[in-house]
Parts: sequence; C-alpha cells; structure tokens
Amino acid sequence: MNPPAIPTQPAPDAVLADITGMLREVLAEYGDDDTAIGMSTTFNRDLELESIDLVTLAGMLEERYGGRVNLAEFLAGMDFEEIIELTVGRLVEYVVWSLRSAQAG
Amino acid sequence: MAMVDAGGIRLHVQRMAPAGGGTPGGTVVLVHGLLTDSLASYYFTVAPAFAAAGLDVVMYDLRGHGRSERPPLGYTLEHNIDDLTALLDRLGVTGPVHLVGNSYGGTIAFGYAVRRPERVATLTLVESEPATPAWARKLGGILHRVVTQLACNERDAIAWITAHRGHNTARLAKGAARLARETSLGRDIPASRVHTEAEIAAVRCPVLGIYGGDSDLADLVPLHEARLPDFRSVVLPGHEHSVLVEAPGAVGGHVLDLIRAGAGVVR
Repeated sequence: MNPPAIPTQPAPDAVLADITGMLREVLAEYGDDDTAIGMSTTFNRDLELESIDLVTLAGMLEERYGGRVNLAEFLAGMDFEEIIELTVGRLVEYVVWSLRSAQAG
Repeated sequence: MAMVDAGGIRLHVQRMAPAGGGTPGGTVVLVHGLLTDSLASYYFTVAPAFAAAGLDVVMYDLRGHGRSERPPLGYTLEHNIDDLTALLDRLGVTGPVHLVGNSYGGTIAFGYAVRRPERVATLTLVESEPATPAWARKLGGILHRVVTQLACNERDAIAWITAHRGHNTARLAKGAARLARETSLGRDIPASRVHTEAEIAAVRCPVLGIYGGDSDLADLVPLHEARLPDFRSVVLPGHEHSVLVEAPGAVGGHVLDLIRAGAGVVR
C-alpha cells in the first residue's frame, strides 16, 4: 500500500502519525510493539533508541518527504545534551517547518 | 540503508553527496571507534558540514558494529583494514581520499595509509594513534576489563554504571558487553599485527592529530611529531576522549583546514 500523499499544508497530526509509523518499524526490530509514542516522548530515555537507529529514521524521513527534511543537518545543529533530550514533538515541528519552508521557497 | 558486500562481509554504508550536486572536491572517508561507536557519531556531527563544503562523504559501520554484519570471529586490525580496502574498491573510490578516524577508527585509517599510501591524501587521527606494541598492550588491558568486568558480570556492572554514569552510558555499555560476549573482538584486537617504526615513518601524507586536553592521548603529541614526517596537532581544552561528539564544530573545522591546505579546491 502506498502512503498517503503529502498534504499541501502539512498538519502536525499527520506528521506525528507518519513519524509514529516509522518509529514502530524501528522499534519492531527490538521486539518492542507497545511503547506509547506521543509529542512528549523522548527518543533516548522513553524509546531507548540508539544513535544508529536515528540514522535509520533519517533515511525513512528522506524517503517519505524528500531531501528537504534532513535529520542529519537538524541534529548537527544541536549539542549533545539537546540530542539526548530530543522529543518526538520537536521532530514533528521541524518536519512541519521544513515542508512549509520548502513550499514558501 | 545501504548494505555493501565488502569482500565477503556485509557492511552498512551511508553517503552524503556534496551540496549543490556539483563535482566533489574530494572524498572524505570517516571511520568510527570500538564497541559503543557507530557511523552515527559522524552522521549527526561533522558529516553534514563536510558535504556542505563540497566533499563526497563516505561513512560505514565497522564489522560487528552498528548495522553491519557481526561474524563471531575475525576482529584483528588486519580484518578492519581489509574491510576498508574492499569497501572503497567496491564503491569505486580509487583516487586518494581524506581519511578521518576516531579512536580505534584512526588506528584503522593509519593502517590503511601504511598499506596503501598512494590512496591517502590526508589523514586525521581524532583521539587516536598508530598500532604499536604499546598500543596493543593498552587495548589488551581495556578489552580485558570489558570482558571480565562487563561481559561476564553484566548485571552488577550495568547497575554500577547506571548509578554513577547515567542511563545513556549504561545502555551503551550493554551494547559493548553484547559485542564482547558474542565475538572474538576482545581477544583479536590485542593480538593484531602492529606496525614497525619504519612503517609508521613511511606514512608521508599530511597527518593531523586532534586531542582532548584532558585525554592521556594528548601526551603522545611529541612522539608523533618525532616519528611522522608531516604531523601537526590540535589540542582542544576541556575535552576528553569524546571530543568528536562534544566539539564537532571545532573538529570538523580543523579537518577542513587540513584538506583545503592540500587541495585548494574545496569550497
């Protein structure tokens, strides 16, 4: 089944649903299929993702949204502690912002 | 995710193309460190800046690490150099490359420069040193502690690390314990063939050493200056062994300075 088309005005709810699906796929490799995922969920403490899992997520985001959503550049602008504290909500905001910027540009 | 067959072992490779899609101003190959490390230490730190500077960026997970295949045996330095050689051949990267290695990754990068000097344009050793008898003894001690204290007594060790170093370090340590238990890495690395002083002195390309000011490895700078024909170093105060992920802006900037000084074509 193809994923739904990217809406012209990306809504945070739709992006959260996309990212939740990607995270489920990553977590499934660890046999984890019941951790709750919401805007305040942290990648490190709540989901126990390792940095190499975020590389996988970066590939999924690029596949879904194209090169305008660049997780490597987004995280490279943060310091180590910020990355440790990173939440799903902050990534959703970044994706929504990137998609809107791409449309405006 | 790209899995590449590098001479009988499947390695996880990530590439970042030079910004703007133009002809790259060279290829930079980034080699990560032991046990808790993976290509992610570059992917989310210096790699985007290297691509933005016009370089073709190649990152890969060492055997046993990250998303690469984990065979039970075959973890000497020679295996790692073989993997890097086969990987670059497989990717069609034939011109001289800019090699960057963090910790043990620098030891691999140096070993590649010993074996294929004509293929290396510059070499950056981040918190790293060439394989010598002293290096093998030190790694032997570290890996012996990992195997005896962590892998064989994991529950107590992880409880201590969680209490004293935090949750994140404890999770990294669990991964290290698993790698040490499931493979011959702990035995193989200290048993690796090391370089002679003549082999080390024959690495004539520009070599940059980057060290944390609070790391023991910074003490080796005078030795490297004496034994290598073209060596310069940068010591970043206030940092220890994790200087790459703690100070990526400074580390990446010094690597680009080294590359630009030699090539003059990088934007």
